[in-house]
Amino acid sequence: MVQPASASLEDTVIDVLKNVSRRPIEPTVDSDLVADLGFDSLQVLELVAELEDRFDISIPLNDVPSTRTVGQIVAQVARLVGERPTA
Amino acid sequence: MGRLRTLPDALSEAARGDAGYVFASGGADTFRSFADIRASSVRAARALREAGLRKGDLVALVLADAEAFLTMLCAASMAGVIPASLYPPALMGAAGDLSRYLQLTAGILRASRATAVVTTSTLVPAFAGLRARCPSLSLVLAHEQLDASLIEPDDLPTLDDIAFVQFTSGSTSMPKGVTLSHANLSANIDAINGPSGLMTGADDVGVSWLPLNHDMGLVGMALGAMYAARPCVLLPPQSFVKRPAEWLRALTRHGGTISFAPNFAYDLCVRRVKDADLEGLDLSSWRVAGCGAEPIHPPTLAAFARKFAPVGFRETSFLPSYGLAEHVLAATFAPRGRALRTENSLVSCGSPLPGHAIRIVDEDNQPLPERHVGEILLAGPSVMLGYYQQDHPGDAVEDGWLHTGDLGYLADGELFVCGRVKDVIIANGRKYHPQDLEWAVDDLAGVRRGRVVAFGMVGEGRADRVVMVVEPNGTVPAASLTEMVRRRIGDLFGLYVDEVAVVPSGTVGRTTSGKVQRAATREKWASLAELRAES
Repeated sequence: MVQPASASLEDTVIDVLKNVSRRPIEPTVDSDLVADLGFDSLQVLELVAELEDRFDISIPLNDVPSTRTVGQIVAQVARLVGERPTA
Repeated sequence: MGRLRTLPDALSEAARGDAGYVFASGGADTFRSFADIRASSVRAARALREAGLRKGDLVALVLADAEAFLTMLCAASMAGVIPASLYPPALMGAAGDLSRYLQLTAGILRASRATAVVTTSTLVPAFAGLRARCPSLSLVLAHEQLDASLIEPDDLPTLDDIAFVQFTSGSTSMPKGVTLSHANLSANIDAINGPSGLMTGADDVGVSWLPLNHDMGLVGMALGAMYAARPCVLLPPQSFVKRPAEWLRALTRHGGTISFAPNFAYDLCVRRVKDADLEGLDLSSWRVAGCGAEPIHPPTLAAFARKFAPVGFRETSFLPSYGLAEHVLAATFAPRGRALRTENSLVSCGSPLPGHAIRIVDEDNQPLPERHVGEILLAGPSVMLGYYQQDHPGDAVEDGWLHTGDLGYLADGELFVCGRVKDVIIANGRKYHPQDLEWAVDDLAGVRRGRVVAFGMVGEGRADRVVMVVEPNGTVPAASLTEMVRRRIGDLFGLYVDEVAVVPSGTVGRTTSGKVQRAATREKWASLAELRAES
């Protein structure tokens, strides 16, 4: 049950990454935001906002510096989606 | 034009009225009158004196929070000590590379012989750890604890005393701390607020998300409001960058009339404010939409005006300006309410402020006639005292003329800025000194020490491309080295390095005094790039 859900979550995160980046990129779970995908600090915050909108979550800014790879983003989004109060 | 005032005098006068700052963060607006700010500053000033600080001591402020920063700035001034603003650790990499940030900051603290650091309680232990490396640093204080009795200060500064020092670069042995007197500050702010600038009145409301360790945010918006005793709404920079619509919502909510931003901010709004966000916006009160701090790209402003015209934005609100920290902030303003004047896809930044002068010179320092490109020089009451604790202001000020390092020409007395003499890289409205980027990666495993060169490739209508040329020492594969360099620069400066060129030994030349030959290396890099393109 969890497997397909997180796979599509990963696809959605990658989709958001591609939209935010202004370069053609092919992110994988191992891609590093800065070193591989070329995100500067502005784009990282743009990414946070887009992820919040897409998943209806709130990402604490304090967590941002320790998040480096696409895999870590996916894991964090999955955690926050799991904690999301069901209205 | 008012008479010149010191910062404590301006705050005392503002404190007699009802106006103040609104700190808009985390979705809540907190109002603090200038009287509130003054009371907190008087208490903190007393606490600084009780902690042992004396007139003339340098106190480094490392504070990202606007209220804390402004309170401590005023407090230091009232206590007769010299406040200096340092960049707080970047949001990105605060965890990853705090140690490198601290090393960089230690260089500034040591060279400037800072007596104290005022920061947040969270960062106190990190700065306390620097005391061994910074002999003059005797105090590391948490701003939260600087709260003594409300006893009026008795050692207030005069107009000739230093108002503050703004460190713009620090990696090298000679940190560049722009040093401004109270007279400098007051002269520039009065000119900005006056009839040739914003023509500000009691009805004006400023709205700003600009960082306060940047001249446009501190002088133009926050202190500009205080000196005019008019309200100003301050948002944290990240909240704007994360959601640019927050800026426009704050302007709507508070009926903002004055707001300044670099070109990139207008571009972010064009690209990222969604159609759904337009609903509920009302920008009709926004009469001065200032634009400065980086090259102005006319198509960006035109696109912004088109997009936001339906919610009341007027294109004639744009106010292009030119300035730099070494001149407090502003040097020229275009006339208010006029459509952008452009030629050769450059925007007119207008004419010098009253009481200030401008001149364009050639390489031999000879004044050039109109429509000839040369270095922009400025003179007048806003020219800085110099760089902190450097006997000579370098080549920066000669016979009262400040060498800006920027290129431009005059047409009908109006300034068109078109390039740079210096190696400075401009990205997202902030200037980066190549030496800082070079120093930042110099200790990476895999980098041949002292064999790194950074520069920016200026492109029309977009941010500079950042290039770093690195000689490897052979211990790390080239691909990993590229990644390490990008990560380090991203962590420390939030900047993306567009190209990391790992080059053969001997490409990065050095002068006899041991400095890297930036221009020569850049030419070699360009010819290597051409070779690659041909093969």
